[in-house]
Amino acid sequence: MEILQVVGVGLIGTVLAVFVKERNKEVAVLISLTTGIIIFIFTLSKVGSIINVLNELASKANINIVYLTTVLKIMGIAYIAEFGSQICRDAGEGSTATKVEFAAKLLVMVLALPIIVAILESVLSLLP
Amino acid sequence: MNIELIFQIAGIGILTSIFHTLLKQAGKEEYAFIATLAGVAIALIMVIQLLGKLFSEVKGVFFLY
Repeated sequence: MEILQVVGVGLIGTVLAVFVKERNKEVAVLISLTTGIIIFIFTLSKVGSIINVLNELASKANINIVYLTTVLKIMGIAYIAEFGSQICRDAGEGSTATKVEFAAKLLVMVLALPIIVAILESVLSLLP
Repeated sequence: MNIELIFQIAGIGILTSIFHTLLKQAGKEEYAFIATLAGVAIALIMVIQLLGKLFSEVKGVFFLY
């Protein structure tokens, strides 16, 4: 029952952050950041095993490994960017959060561009 | 799951707020500010080490080299 551990860590972090927030706002942000990082590192070990299974399935289906790696990279960027922008937004810096999200979208677009080009080329080759 | 870090940072926050109040009562406003700043810096150093560990792990898992 690992969910109990995660919920416990989240509740303890929330209570401590709310307690400290009235006296010391900066440290409250750091507490919520630490809580998030601890939960994140915990879930990441599970994500690793999922990705191993996906890799195996892709190699069985003869899918080019480049495509799977691109999808995983996009997932990682989205994960990290969401984490960072949420922390910024919690601290009341909504504009910084929006910029982080914007940068993440741009980086995802850069990663996805070769695949889009490949799709367009295959469509063009199908056309007479 | 090393939850000790959350408690440590909360302790630093409470301690610095106490120092802040004490120094303010004693009429040393500038020292109060410096005490708060030092507390935040110490906590930040601890958090940034953990954040670096998280980033390196994400890099490893999601092939983000």
